[in-house]
Amino acid sequence: MIARVILAFCAVFVLSCTPAGDQPDGRTLLVFKHGKLSGDGTVLSNLLREFEQRHPGVTIREELLPASSDQQHQYYAMNLDGGQAPFDLLGVDTIWVQEFAKAGWITPLDTLLPLGERDQFFPGPVEAATFEERLYAVPWYIDAGVLYYRRDLLDRHKLSPPQTWPELVRSAKLVLDAEQDADLVGFVWQGKQYEGLICFALEVLRSNGADLWEGDQERARAGLRFLRETIAGHRITPLSMSMADEESTRRIFGDGRALFMRNWPYARSLLEREGSPVRGKVGVVPLPSFPGYASAPVLGGWLLAVPQSSPRREAAGELIRYLTSPSVQRLVASELGYNPTRRALYYDETLAVARPGLKELYPVFLGARPRPVTPYYLLLSQAVQPEVSALVVGLKTPRETLEAVRRHTERIVGQRAPSVSAEGL
Amino acid sequence: MTGQRSTVTREATSRVCLSEQAWGYLLAGPAFLLVGLLAVLPIAAALWLSLHRRLPIFGVEEFVGAWNYVQLWSDDRFWAACRTTLYFTALSVTAELLLGLWIALLLDGLTSIRGGSPRWAQVMIILPWAVPTVVSAQIWAWLYQPDYGLLNYLLRQAGLATAPIDWLADPDWAIHAAVMMDVWKTTPFAALLLLAGLKTVPGDLYAAARVDGAGAWKRFRLITLPLLMPIVVIVLVFRTMDAVRVFDAVYVLTGGGPGNTTETLSIYAYKTLFQTLQFGYGSALATAMFLIVAALSSLYLLLLRRHLRDVA
Repeated sequence: MIARVILAFCAVFVLSCTPAGDQPDGRTLLVFKHGKLSGDGTVLSNLLREFEQRHPGVTIREELLPASSDQQHQYYAMNLDGGQAPFDLLGVDTIWVQEFAKAGWITPLDTLLPLGERDQFFPGPVEAATFEERLYAVPWYIDAGVLYYRRDLLDRHKLSPPQTWPELVRSAKLVLDAEQDADLVGFVWQGKQYEGLICFALEVLRSNGADLWEGDQERARAGLRFLRETIAGHRITPLSMSMADEESTRRIFGDGRALFMRNWPYARSLLEREGSPVRGKVGVVPLPSFPGYASAPVLGGWLLAVPQSSPRREAAGELIRYLTSPSVQRLVASELGYNPTRRALYYDETLAVARPGLKELYPVFLGARPRPVTPYYLLLSQAVQPEVSALVVGLKTPRETLEAVRRHTERIVGQRAPSVSAEGL
Repeated sequence: MTGQRSTVTREATSRVCLSEQAWGYLLAGPAFLLVGLLAVLPIAAALWLSLHRRLPIFGVEEFVGAWNYVQLWSDDRFWAACRTTLYFTALSVTAELLLGLWIALLLDGLTSIRGGSPRWAQVMIILPWAVPTVVSAQIWAWLYQPDYGLLNYLLRQAGLATAPIDWLADPDWAIHAAVMMDVWKTTPFAALLLLAGLKTVPGDLYAAARVDGAGAWKRFRLITLPLLMPIVVIVLVFRTMDAVRVFDAVYVLTGGGPGNTTETLSIYAYKTLFQTLQFGYGSALATAMFLIVAALSSLYLLLLRRHLRDVA
């Protein structure tokens, strides 16, 4: 205990000796804070060294946060709220930009990406980054929900990848009946009580022309019912999915124990790597929809922003321009497997060789819609997660769930001008 | 130390014009200051914050009096979290006390037969407690895994379960799975404290009881238990305080799900404070938790005082 206290004091001392900012020798120190990327960490740091060489006088210090999105949000909120953030550049989740912009924590970056150049990027991330008609972050890499399927199993039973949810259910039942494999399940998705569940629930509801928060209730209930039915009625999804996140579903599918999986594109390279039991047997298609409606992938991914408090905004902006440039995005896409936010790269010859599946993702990213673009989003999601989770495990009916969701939404969004008399928060 | 010195320096002391009492306060001052800075000040700050509406994102910072507490009263999620927390506490503390007592008696028995102290047994027993909670929660998450998990494998081998149990995904099981993990982890702590208590019971009392023809159960009920009571209360207070505040064990296992069935007060407070940044309301939640712990602890101390009076 005492040792830990002494250690903490030492750490504070050491850190206070190397403050972020302009160093005595006149060099500019940029602190770049972001969540750890998967894969080889030297790819990004080599890029940063190259930037330093091109910009004499600038030194970049990369500071990593845990990969967990919740932990990063907590770190940023505490440090940005203090008004003196110890970093000049940060990676933000698509769902935080509105919040951070509303709080005045990050600075507008319109000059980095003039209106005329914005359509070089996918529209979803740009929409998520635009607050009161100003752009507060530049899209770094993009994500959207897709459907993975076992090509070998579908081929064996002469089935094609499903385009509608009822088709997915039929195919899954057929294959499960025919295979008689106790270890095989039909469809795995992220059902844990967390942000990932909201993403999938939105994808199901939006692909039925409905939404969680507002609009048609009948179709929204039908979507919710489908979610529960995969477990309780059709029995193509095990109950254990109510505790599953991206990685646990990826492992089940990666072990060859699932026919279909909803996940982000990152899983593909892991499923195809050497030694993977499903290597060469995996296909990726857009998520199914209900008959008469379009597939509705939810947008994910990260953007780059600059804290309002940073005195080195110009240099930070320069670094953002570099990191989101076509050549750097191409390199990150081929070396680390992150998906570029620039649309032209999906038709890039060299990238097509390194990332054969990339082109198929283009329509998915083009159609990916952000979660509600509002500073209230984290409040909304947090209030609604328990309700949808209760639906998944059968504690609430679709009707009860939707009523509760709408009640929470009204309570949170209904008080746009927060005041003492407002209920709730 | 003061005896000799005081006669010599009495003159000097009176010249500075400080009474003995004043000296006492002066010398204890730094300690008071330290406790004040480390304990009282943060608690007061949290209380003060709980009387505000503070939403940094919306630039809201205003004094609202007891408004947050009024909200708390009508917040279903708060009451559900209270029920979950108290259920978790009641189950885990009871199990930990009983198991801990059993283990302590076993260890105590080992000592008296062999004569020496069985250090290895104590070390073995204390191990689960020494593992960081987050690590052991992760280990248990694997044990609970319905398909590959060790627990279901053992149950199936023993013929006790036909279908695998979804320990964490089944809303009826999830909270009990969290209790089991907590019991595994903290029973050693209870056992060690109780073992220390058993060592203080004078051996001749047992010898005398034996002469009077008292059996093992009677000796336990009439000698061990009454003399162990103060330690039992200490175990109860410590364990209850920890169980009411439980966070990491449950958060790592379930994150509060499924369907909020395992959301304890700390998890709700954490989500309110750090995920949705409602600092005022979150502080009110934390204060409510503090009050529950305080109330339960006072109840235990009251019971102990009554027990000690009855014994006397």
